[in-house]
Amino acid sequence: MKKIIAATALTLSSLCNIASLAAEGDVGVAAAMDDRYCNTCHGVEGIGNIAVEAPRLAGMEAWYLKRQLENFRAGIRGTHGEDTQGIAMRSMAAKLSDESITDIVAWAGNWEYVPAEVTVEGNVNQGRTAFQTCAACHGVNAQGNEALGVPALAGQNDWYLITQLRNFRAGFRGSHREDTYGSQMVTMSKTLRDDQAVINVVSYINTLQK
Amino acid sequence: MTNAVSRREFLNLLGAYGGTSAVIQAGTALGFMPSSSRAAEISLQPSAGKKVAILGTGISALTTAWELTKAGYDCTLLEASHRPGGRMFTVRSGTVIDEIGNYQRCEWDNDPHLYFNAGAARIPSIHSSVLKYCKELEVELQVFVNESKTAWIQDDALNGGKPVRNTDYSSSMQGFISEMLTKSFGDSQLDSSLTKSESETLLGMLRSFGDLNEDMLYKGSIRAGYGSGGFLDHGTKKDVIALRDLLKTQLARNVMVTTNEGAGSGPLLMQPVGGMDRIVYAFANRLGDRIKFRCPVTEVMIREDGVEVAYEHNGVTEVLKADYCFNCIPSHLMSGIPNNFPDEYSEALNYIRRGKAYKAAFQAKERFWEKENIYGGITWVNAPTQQIWYPPHNIHGKKGVVLAAYNFGGANYTEMSQEDRIEDLLKHGEKVHANYRQMAEKPITIAWHRMNNMLGCAPRWARNRGGWSEKEEQMYETLRQPVNGRHYLIGDQSTQHSAWMESAIQSAHYALADLDQRVRSEAA
Repeated sequence: MKKIIAATALTLSSLCNIASLAAEGDVGVAAAMDDRYCNTCHGVEGIGNIAVEAPRLAGMEAWYLKRQLENFRAGIRGTHGEDTQGIAMRSMAAKLSDESITDIVAWAGNWEYVPAEVTVEGNVNQGRTAFQTCAACHGVNAQGNEALGVPALAGQNDWYLITQLRNFRAGFRGSHREDTYGSQMVTMSKTLRDDQAVINVVSYINTLQK
Repeated sequence: MTNAVSRREFLNLLGAYGGTSAVIQAGTALGFMPSSSRAAEISLQPSAGKKVAILGTGISALTTAWELTKAGYDCTLLEASHRPGGRMFTVRSGTVIDEIGNYQRCEWDNDPHLYFNAGAARIPSIHSSVLKYCKELEVELQVFVNESKTAWIQDDALNGGKPVRNTDYSSSMQGFISEMLTKSFGDSQLDSSLTKSESETLLGMLRSFGDLNEDMLYKGSIRAGYGSGGFLDHGTKKDVIALRDLLKTQLARNVMVTTNEGAGSGPLLMQPVGGMDRIVYAFANRLGDRIKFRCPVTEVMIREDGVEVAYEHNGVTEVLKADYCFNCIPSHLMSGIPNNFPDEYSEALNYIRRGKAYKAAFQAKERFWEKENIYGGITWVNAPTQQIWYPPHNIHGKKGVVLAAYNFGGANYTEMSQEDRIEDLLKHGEKVHANYRQMAEKPITIAWHRMNNMLGCAPRWARNRGGWSEKEEQMYETLRQPVNGRHYLIGDQSTQHSAWMESAIQSAHYALADLDQRVRSEAA
């Protein structure tokens, strides 16, 4: 074995590193550099990644994913200085063409939904009460309502729901004048009295099946 | 400029930092000389046929693959991107920079001298393992110049924003520090703490350190270079920068310690001739088609008798079954890859935070810095771009590549477009060099926390400045133990001194030693 390696090493060193360095550039050029970057942040097949705070895309409604991408691209979302995660999304979405968005939405549609891991524990009973307000739009099972333009909440990463409720409450999301859906959420999120109420309502959403 | 600071002010200043006795106590703890370090001898039991899956191609993975291959193991390396090396990344003509939302292709002149080490860039002389492999794999090295006293420091608050030579600043600061300590010798507390002989030694050193005059005062030094003359005529000293003026910038924290960090940039530094990725390709060329590119890992399952790694290639999912797995995929990316790690292992993985960092560089039309007597080293600027590095190689050549920004943290650059990033580096750079904007060709920028298949720079363990908590130490030990004796986490994430190639290599050596012990005991 060692003999073979020594021989390989000799041949390669005589080729000189330059050959492979040039090849690296060529590979880059030939690469099919499409806009399917989603899984780097959002996890394999969009399962979500808590370590980079990128939410689950698998199982997300196609119409909602499309609207979000378009909103990020237009700067309606992800431009508030305090919306750290939104800014991260915005700098990718800003580059997307209509074709790319169509491609991504179709691609994401193939990702199988798997239930999100529960990471928060609040008072489910108090959360249930608070959720009655949310249910008016998001549905009693938090299943969403396309006709009203509201996404499903059930099945989403709980840490992500908490982040966004905090963002809406603080006005980091939903303050853009063209963010009509977001502005409703800014108002509605304020019916949650404090951060514990946010955790409670998300803990209740965790009990709902997608 | 004047240097009028009263003795009372000096003493008050000293008192604010804990008084002279505190200084002496601290001094006794600073008596260490770094011990010489030696690279580990790797002597693995030959093990023909055992299959090993290696995830990623950072330096820890390449080291692992190289050592195992030499011992007869059957290694496969899965690399998600189009290139090997991870954060050992050299940009030159044709290089693709696959930053999410900011795809770039470098269009500098095709010249071996024109490259930019966008990640790892310096090899300290005490990093014996890196040097061992450079020697073994015949990677030619040259000296890297980290500090140049003729480089600049620039701060809008200092000298009306005009740049000041590092040497003018540091000579004056050194002089005043010496003068201050010397003046405090009247302090009975200090006098009583030292013997006569110790006092004489200290005073002698201080006088020399600060280049003080007969009255033990700092009145300028020719160390800062001559104001005029100095060769055919007697040299004259430059004006002293007043202490109050020196204190207008926070940059002293960087300027005064550039070459003093023992474990990192203190020892003599080196770089491979032609770019840091010469080390990467020295390994990769020898490993040949054992490395599979564009193969992102999609699942890692630890089984009783081995490891199953699923990966995707050209839209098809394949499964690699191996006896062992060595994994240098960044922990924050593993959080998004399905696996069956034990809970406490996952908890520790999720705990490590990803570092953020930003670098930028451009090809300079001319080596304008050489006309300012700069031949390498670092200019410090009080701006988000923070540093400017001048290439120490190809002196007096036509062009050169200048590092135009090196921001630890770098988060603010996430939202900046490429155009804004370029304007940012030009705007800050031209405060130092008037012709900077005209000299800069084809700038490239890299936000490491936005790089595809990477999303981070040096991992961060300790959340408190005070050091590692007990819980952090426990989680670290958890990750150092292989899952089921089969899955090893490697890379600088699996060390207590991230950001250095040496750490990553040593993490590989640590894991290899554990594997070897298991293999030997199985055979026994």
